Amino acid sequence: MLSQNSLLKRTWPMLVQCAEAHRKPRWLPVAKSKIYRIPKRPVISEDERLELMRLHNNYKTQMRSIRRFYHEEMIKEKSTRESASSEMSQRLEAEEWARCVELNEKWNAQVAVEREERRKLEVAALEEYALKKIEADDIKLKERIAKASEEIKKQKELSSTFITPENLDAAIDHALANPIDYNFAIDLKGNKYEGRDTQIQYTKAKEEKSASATA
Amino acid sequence: MSLPPASGTGRYFARAAKSIRLIRQGCTNRPFFHISVTHRRRLNSQPVIEQLGSYDPMPNTNNEKLVALNLERVKFWLGKGAHVTDPVAELLGLSGFFPIHPRSYMTAWRNRRTERENIAKLEAEQAKAKPPAS
Repeated sequence: MLSQNSLLKRTWPMLVQCAEAHRKPRWLPVAKSKIYRIPKRPVISEDERLELMRLHNNYKTQMRSIRRFYHEEMIKEKSTRESASSEMSQRLEAEEWARCVELNEKWNAQVAVEREERRKLEVAALEEYALKKIEADDIKLKERIAKASEEIKKQKELSSTFITPENLDAAIDHALANPIDYNFAIDLKGNKYEGRDTQIQYTKAKEEKSASATA
Repeated sequence: MSLPPASGTGRYFARAAKSIRLIRQGCTNRPFFHISVTHRRRLNSQPVIEQLGSYDPMPNTNNEKLVALNLERVKFWLGKGAHVTDPVAELLGLSGFFPIHPRSYMTAWRNRRTERENIAKLEAEQAKAKPPAS
């Protein structure tokens, strides 16, 4: 891919429109009909010629002086540019540098003060945040401790009902004496009938239906 | 592709002779010229070193032929020893930067002469046409 720069900086145009496109080639001889044609020379009268010569001489002299003037000006400018590295300019440059350094230091001091203020504010904010966090953590811990102590109290209260090796036999006896049946059934209405051997009390409509079915 | 910048894109050789010349940039039947610095031996179709101005030879609605010139750069290139072609020298002369070019004087007096001759011819014709009428 050609870059635009390469297109712009090319030394030869991409499209050359040459004058030969509508002219005959250089190597062709003069046309037969034009062999004896002599181009007419422009006629300039003597007065006009002398006047033009005078004008041209004047013009050339003036132009020469103008050219020399610009050339000398250019040389002068060049020399002033080169003399920019002289002692005087170096001194000026040093002064400028010192001034710049001073200004820079002033700015630095100003910025340092501002930075210190900002830092203090930031530290204060950080401290506040930390204290708040510590307080919140304390409260949370206290809450947890309270919750745990409550739980312990509850468990202690419950511990009187625990089965221990001492009252294990009594508990077994009690359990054997009072069997509990967890089986149950549910009817379509969601009524729960506990026990394996519980008798179901059918409703009246059901009985009628069943009776009609048998009949 | 965008147009090349006025600072020019042509290659620059310090020791080669430069010339400030008109370079035709218009299209068919619409001449328009750039005033450019380029190497003396370079074709007008080739990229220039720098464009110094423009010249529109077709008069606009106010009957003006507009010329734009960057005189600072013209001074710079003259200081560098650039040659100036006759048409550009004429334009610079009319702009007051150079003395008036002799060719400008010549065209002026020739135009005046032809005008005088035309007027004389017209008068002669009128004089010829009058006697039979009177």
